[in-house]
Amino acid sequence: MGRLRRKRMHKNDKHLKKKYRTKRRTKDLDQIHEDMQPKNAAKTEITSVRYGSTRLRTVLLRYFIDEKSLKDHIKSRVHRKKVKMLKDVPYTPEEAERAAGMGSYTLTSTKPLLPVSQDEDMTSTENVESVGT
Amino acid sequence: MRLEKCYFCSSTIYPGHGTVFVRNDCKIFRFCRSKCHKNFKIKRNPRKIKWTKAFRKAAGKELAIDNAFEFEKKRNVPVKYDRQLWSNTVRAMKRIEEIRSKRQDLHIKNRLKPDKQLRKEAELKEVKQGITLIAPPVEKRKLGQKISQVMREAESMETED
Repeated sequence: MGRLRRKRMHKNDKHLKKKYRTKRRTKDLDQIHEDMQPKNAAKTEITSVRYGSTRLRTVLLRYFIDEKSLKDHIKSRVHRKKVKMLKDVPYTPEEAERAAGMGSYTLTSTKPLLPVSQDEDMTSTENVESVGT
Repeated sequence: MRLEKCYFCSSTIYPGHGTVFVRNDCKIFRFCRSKCHKNFKIKRNPRKIKWTKAFRKAAGKELAIDNAFEFEKKRNVPVKYDRQLWSNTVRAMKRIEEIRSKRQDLHIKNRLKPDKQLRKEAELKEVKQGITLIAPPVEKRKLGQKISQVMREAESMETED
């Protein structure tokens, strides 16, 4: 039996390491949640035309090259899961403090904050139509 | 000296420990150790992770709503040193902790109360289902009998053999 390898065990994890760095960090759920509030609705509609193709953007702040890939994404499990998570009240540092015993801890998270119709808006058909061309 | 709370697991962070992350929208996140920081970076929800305080309280595992929690607070008002006040506060802290832990114990005790009954039921069910393993297949008329009787018969048969 040869020597067991002790070095370079995680050499190929580079993509993961990059993904989880705080540099160029993608938005957290609570930030997206904030953006989805009606008063910030204008913000979420940002789309831009670049290199001749339309860049479309969904609630998850991901950009897509065309409408088809956007629609595929909306159907995808990742998107549906995220939308479900977004319906909860986001976790905050204040909640962490209450959980630590600074005040009583009551959970309000199970209530959906956003009405269903609005949620559909965000997930986007409207955005696509308005900016798609 | 301020003792902060960890964003992820809600444990106390003493000065000189842990990591602070300031997000680009100026929100401050404090972590007690790299474990919590890592979990934050992969965007996990502390409410869904079993070892955090938030989970334990949200799931009813621990005492969550109580008057004893109303004393520890962030007070942003500086207080001039006063020996009397200091000693009183320390005494109160000890007393409050005593009461809180008593209530917490009671909460857990009450939570586990139905467990005994449930376990008994589960065991009975198992015996009922598995009785044929130790006794020959029970005939239909015997099914109406009490389990203890069936067991006794099985035992007597074994001794006969």
